[in-house]
Amino acid sequence: MTAVPRLECIALTRTLPSGGQALTVLDHVDLSISAGEFCAILGPSGSGKSTLLGLLAGLDRPTSGEILLDGERIDDKSEDQLSLLRRAKVGFVFQSFQLLGNLTALENVLLPLELAGVRAAPARARELLEQVGLGARTHHYPSQLSGGEQQRVALARAFGPRPSVLFADEPTGNLDAATGARILELLSELHQREQTTLVLVTHDPSIARHAQRRIHLRAGRVERIEEGVSV
Amino acid sequence: MKALDVLRGAWRESRGSGPRLLFFIACLALGVAAITGVSGLVDAIEQALVAQSRELLGADVSIQARRPIDAKVDEFLAFDAQRERAQARETPTLVAFGQRSKLAELKAVSANFPFYGRIVLEPDGRLGEVLDEQSCAVAPELANELGARVGDELSIGGKPYRIAALVRDEPGRLDIGFTLGPRVFVTLEGLARSGLEQFGSRMRYRELYRLPSSPDERRIAQLKREVNEGIEDAAYLRIESHREAQPTVRRSLRQVESYLGLVALLSLVLGGVGVAQIVRAWVASRTQAVAVLRVLGARPREVLAMYLTHVALLALVGSSLGALAGSFAPHLVARIAADLLPSGFELSWSPLALLRGLGLGVGIALVFSTPPLTAVWRVSPARVLRTDIEPLPAPRAVAWGAAALVALGLFAAAWTQSRELTVAAGFTAALAVLAGALALGARALTRLAAHVPRERLNPYLRNGVAALARPGIGVVGATVALGFGVLVITLMALVESRLSERLRNALPTDAPSVFLLDVQPDQRESVRELATRQGAVNYSDVPVLTARLASINGVSVRDIAPGRAEAKGREQWVLMREQRITWASTLPADNRVVAGELWSDPQRLELSVEKDFAEDLGVGLGDRLAFDVQGVEIEFAVTSLRTVEWESFGINFFLMAEPGSLDHAPHSVLAAVRLEPAQEASLQRELASSAPNVTPIGVRAILEKVLAVLSKLAAAVRVLGLFTILTGLVILAGVASSSAVHRGREVALLKTLGLTRAGVVTLFGIEFALVGLVAGAIGATAAFALAWVFLERVVELGAELPWAALPAATLATALASALCGLAANLRALASRPIESLRG
Repeated sequence: MTAVPRLECIALTRTLPSGGQALTVLDHVDLSISAGEFCAILGPSGSGKSTLLGLLAGLDRPTSGEILLDGERIDDKSEDQLSLLRRAKVGFVFQSFQLLGNLTALENVLLPLELAGVRAAPARARELLEQVGLGARTHHYPSQLSGGEQQRVALARAFGPRPSVLFADEPTGNLDAATGARILELLSELHQREQTTLVLVTHDPSIARHAQRRIHLRAGRVERIEEGVSV
Repeated sequence: MKALDVLRGAWRESRGSGPRLLFFIACLALGVAAITGVSGLVDAIEQALVAQSRELLGADVSIQARRPIDAKVDEFLAFDAQRERAQARETPTLVAFGQRSKLAELKAVSANFPFYGRIVLEPDGRLGEVLDEQSCAVAPELANELGARVGDELSIGGKPYRIAALVRDEPGRLDIGFTLGPRVFVTLEGLARSGLEQFGSRMRYRELYRLPSSPDERRIAQLKREVNEGIEDAAYLRIESHREAQPTVRRSLRQVESYLGLVALLSLVLGGVGVAQIVRAWVASRTQAVAVLRVLGARPREVLAMYLTHVALLALVGSSLGALAGSFAPHLVARIAADLLPSGFELSWSPLALLRGLGLGVGIALVFSTPPLTAVWRVSPARVLRTDIEPLPAPRAVAWGAAALVALGLFAAAWTQSRELTVAAGFTAALAVLAGALALGARALTRLAAHVPRERLNPYLRNGVAALARPGIGVVGATVALGFGVLVITLMALVESRLSERLRNALPTDAPSVFLLDVQPDQRESVRELATRQGAVNYSDVPVLTARLASINGVSVRDIAPGRAEAKGREQWVLMREQRITWASTLPADNRVVAGELWSDPQRLELSVEKDFAEDLGVGLGDRLAFDVQGVEIEFAVTSLRTVEWESFGINFFLMAEPGSLDHAPHSVLAAVRLEPAQEASLQRELASSAPNVTPIGVRAILEKVLAVLSKLAAAVRVLGLFTILTGLVILAGVASSSAVHRGREVALLKTLGLTRAGVVTLFGIEFALVGLVAGAIGATAAFALAWVFLERVVELGAELPWAALPAATLATALASALCGLAANLRALASRPIESLRG
């Protein structure tokens, strides 16, 4: 008997109204991601990658189909229930970092830790900032940090509450090649150390190479799935 | 960049942001409507007050004297070519009917008397038409006492006069201390026929003027000066405008006028703050466009010029709409509360007032948009690359220049509104201090927030504190704007409630309706008993002695009076007139000692003087006043000054002597009593038989008129106060909303991180509430301070302020700020987490 997949979707469909007609962005996608897996979702612009990520993470609701996180359906939950679910189990890294401008680096990392009720949250936040190499910049505001540094804070924030699944949406999209590589390295490191399931969305095959499995989307459908790290 | 390019740029900037522009124009219109609306209402109420007080005097200006008035006086009124003149003469005289006779006050008037108000006759008719050389009109109490009826013939100065009508009501002052008997009206020709004028020693002459140019107080003061300088021995003349005529409402009128001035000034602040905050929000939304312009090579000053032009165009549109809308306010009030505005009040569309409103509106809009527009200077061109780039520092000259421009503009506007240089300067200075305090408070809050050990705070509170600590996000601007809004609302609420409370309490609802003159000391008890038997309530009586002032500090008034000609006209008259003095051990309830102490010097005979009267006399504490009491000189020392609420209609005197000091001098007793109309007639009959020397004077008609004026004043204060508060609340809500930057992305992100909707609401609520708390604390404190100054010093009302409301106002601001901030972010709060993926 196989273990329950960490994340699963069945016949996942999302249509958007577009000029009076319904535009199908995702069309009956079936997918299963196991615990601890590093999985990349690839595809050209408009293929439905970000939509799929949003649905899997409970940020958006499907038109039809089911989504299960740890065997539990999440597609029929209310906004607040989803918020509580994300607080406990889901982490995010965004292309545009999405740090809260009012808060220092440390406070940004602390926020989800405290929301999740993690004990000794400040110590954990400091430790994580230390791990991403920002131990000396805990009191800086996002506007005082470079792009790479901001994304490192975002990584620390995402891994803080030890989420079951971490979603990364083009995490290196706004960074130069060298900085992007360093972020990817960190992401992999943290993924391995924390045993987090990682779902990464990218259009860049060289980034997707790091993943154990690559799901190629085209026009809202799964085109093919590649297995194995191809580094 | 040429002017045309600037204009073209401004025009382009206006395109493509239709709904936002409409909103901006609407907000500007609201600010300007507040200014013109309040200003229009103030004008309307002022006009109404003038109409009311004219009715009480029956004229615009009255000139009074104890001897025939020099014909030259008329020349001094030549400034009004359209003036009309009426004449009146008054003298006490005996009126007889059959065997009975009575002391009455005869008043001979020209046919055009009075200009305002009406003499109510029974049977109905106009005095000028009813009276001829052979007839008279008399007060009902006189007819009653004499047992005469309409159609009977009375004897005045030995000549017969047929009673043509009874006089139920006449415009004029209530000066019971100087009334000698009930009224008898005759024509000037009728007076000549009586031959009484030959004995003119007790004759009072009056020239009454209707002045269509309705001169203001300053013009009247100038007139008095001119008369004093131009006429030899002008001391015998007493010039009064309708504003000073009625002591019972004079103080209330003055207080309400000050109040109207205050409201007009505060509306400027409201409008200005509204405009500034809207421009701030608008500029914030255009930052990206400014950055692009900067990248393309536009210099900051060119961008500023472009946006200033843009704002000017919008201001013109918004102000025009606002001025138009605001000028509806008095009409609206007239529609929904018609009885507020008295009969003499006419609504009119004055193009000049509209133009003034427009000018004031555009001016205020331009001046107040300058400081937020300087933000254009601070937009870094690098913003095109990264949206979170720090703003550049504004050049010091620009920041100070903008502040100076606002101060100057505010001063000019305040001057336009108040027409007083000192008031405008004081007002501007007070606001500058307040702005400074608010900015400092906001800075202190920012500093404090930066140094609070936030790690120990709960995450919701921390985010709020952190938001305040972040530099350059406009906490200072928002706090200042919010603080001013709080100031206006709180100040208005404090002043309005205190003033209308006083006006309501001043209503003489249990005031005497009949005065009894010439009660002899040995009749005091029997008259009181008689009145009480008739069902009298609030019976009161005091001894009265008539005397002339002989000397002040040993110098004869005959020597002092001529020297007064240089100063105010009234003072001379005050020195020379017959003084009425009373004495009692305690003060009546409507008196308040404001300097010195009552009956505190056992060594000397003491005198307590009403404060304004003391000023007119030119005496103060410690001065010695000697009176000629029937040939005997008695000297008193002034040991206390007091204020009197004349509105109470009680028996009050300017001069009050120590008890016992004049007991043995010949005097009479003045009684006041409140009775129902039917009881009044019955008391008159009783008195006529048992104490015929006592003269009852009915004052019900004038009492009711004063009652009407005071209750209208109270209602006007209330309406205007509520209107201003309401406008203030709308603008405050706008300020609170526009300072809460649209936070859609932040909400989406917070939700993504696992915050529930309630959590986001709490987090934002705390942030907005903290700004509100600081603005509320400073704004409300300033409001209390200003209210104290206004109530205590300007209208001299005694500032019993509800200090407990200070923390309440502060907390209410925090709550309002949180609610408005959240309301402004309703759409943002509904942002869905998926939006965080859209960068």
